[in-house]
Amino acid sequence: MDFKPYKTLLLSFHEEVLGATLGEFGGWIVPMVYTSVFEEHNAVRTSVGVFDVSHMGRLRLKGPDVIPFLQRVFTRNIAKTKDYWMSGPTLVLNEYARVKDDEMPYRISEDEWLVVVNAPYREKMINYFKDIIRREKFNVTVEDLTFKYAMIAVQGPKVEEVFSSIGADWVNNLHTLEFRVNCEIAGQKVYLISRSGWTGEDGFEIWAEPKYMIEIYRILLRVGVKPVGIISRDTLRIEMGYVLGEHEYGEDPTKYPPALSLRYGFGAIDWSKHGFIGEEALRAYRREGVKWIRVGIKMRKKHARVIPRKNCKIYVEDQLVGWITSGTYSPYLKTSIAQAYIDTRYAILGEPVEIEIRGKRYEGKIVDFPLVPGRPVIK
Amino acid sequence: MGVIKVDKYIIKDDLLYTKTDEWVKVEDNKVREGITDYAQKELKDIVGVELPEVGREVKAGEPIGTIESIKATADIYAAVSGKIVEVNERLLSEPELLNSDPYGEGWIVVIEMSNPDELKHLMKPEEYAEKIRKGEH
Repeated sequence: MDFKPYKTLLLSFHEEVLGATLGEFGGWIVPMVYTSVFEEHNAVRTSVGVFDVSHMGRLRLKGPDVIPFLQRVFTRNIAKTKDYWMSGPTLVLNEYARVKDDEMPYRISEDEWLVVVNAPYREKMINYFKDIIRREKFNVTVEDLTFKYAMIAVQGPKVEEVFSSIGADWVNNLHTLEFRVNCEIAGQKVYLISRSGWTGEDGFEIWAEPKYMIEIYRILLRVGVKPVGIISRDTLRIEMGYVLGEHEYGEDPTKYPPALSLRYGFGAIDWSKHGFIGEEALRAYRREGVKWIRVGIKMRKKHARVIPRKNCKIYVEDQLVGWITSGTYSPYLKTSIAQAYIDTRYAILGEPVEIEIRGKRYEGKIVDFPLVPGRPVIK
Repeated sequence: MGVIKVDKYIIKDDLLYTKTDEWVKVEDNKVREGITDYAQKELKDIVGVELPEVGREVKAGEPIGTIESIKATADIYAAVSGKIVEVNERLLSEPELLNSDPYGEGWIVVIEMSNPDELKHLMKPEEYAEKIRKGEH
């Protein structure tokens, strides 16, 4: 099992049947794109697409101390979460209040939780969790389910129609962040289905053993769901203002601002909560104020086709005021967009800034997230 | 005129090629230059292009522009030395022509050669096909 890069469990199907272009992400070989990023991205924004997200880490945490343990490592107050609900995304900090990972906890019961971690950090986080459990004597076991189940995300405004058309109407009754375990979809055994995703659209995420997943995947394609690769996953999350490790956050305090500057959203940090790792440093930043703040950048129309990429410098007049963390061309807005850290003194929404790209300066505008307006709010 | 197919990539047999995946078509003392089908398929969704100024003197191998795709930014290199005498301005508003018709409407520049002997350093279609074949495996 330990041959890197890992292959996602549906990989041969993507390559041989669908003709996907493959590439590496977070130690995994994954489908980058099937037909074109334009088609795939816009399918998710206007219809429905399906991603194989099996590369993401899936962990099961069990034991009487799960809640105290998760409260210790997460910035969110997960005590409020009910059975069969996800808590919403949250952060794991290091002692410098820098982000180790952003993760999604799922509560099955008081003493059984699932946690989805980012692919590049799976091993790091398993070791970290086990280390904290050992050092602080929590009664918790960590089981890695990543290779047991495949995971797909079905995303887009027409997702309810898709599930109705395959005889799985019942899933449409799930609220955002609600999930079920051990159920059946289109005659296939499913371990978990949740109403969630990372695209800004309505959608579901499904965990199932590969033999069942391949059938579900085929059924979805048959009813017209478009396979979508990881490049579109990136363009979709940049439009929404969602973050990615080693771009918007990282552990190194000499490279990345603290978690507060990330402006992560989703109620991921709960100030009424005490005792989580990284809290002292985070509160110190809160008191003193942060130097950098994450914002969106939209390029001016005449520079719509120049893409600001990671680490491009940002200027106001002759002052260096920030840097780009992620950039792309938005197939939906038809202009180049980016996420950036800006010196808080210059972080004024609507103000123009200049981005240095290949030695030349191009004008963009500071904007708030999401960069795509009017995303639907789901039940 | 025919084509050589390597896997899903098309190579035209009446053109010469660079190691950096440009094609050139010799037109008397000038060459028309663009990127190959392989290059456009590698870059995928092309969204922008920067072109050199007409009149600029360039040396073979010198960067003369960039192609921006969602996936990456790539430099365009002059295949031969000489003077840029024409650029395909249509690409500024329709960069997708580089994807849809790399050997035709997606041409990038015309260079008036200062040293036509350089053409013999370019790859013949079979050699370029071999390069793609090797790169693929």
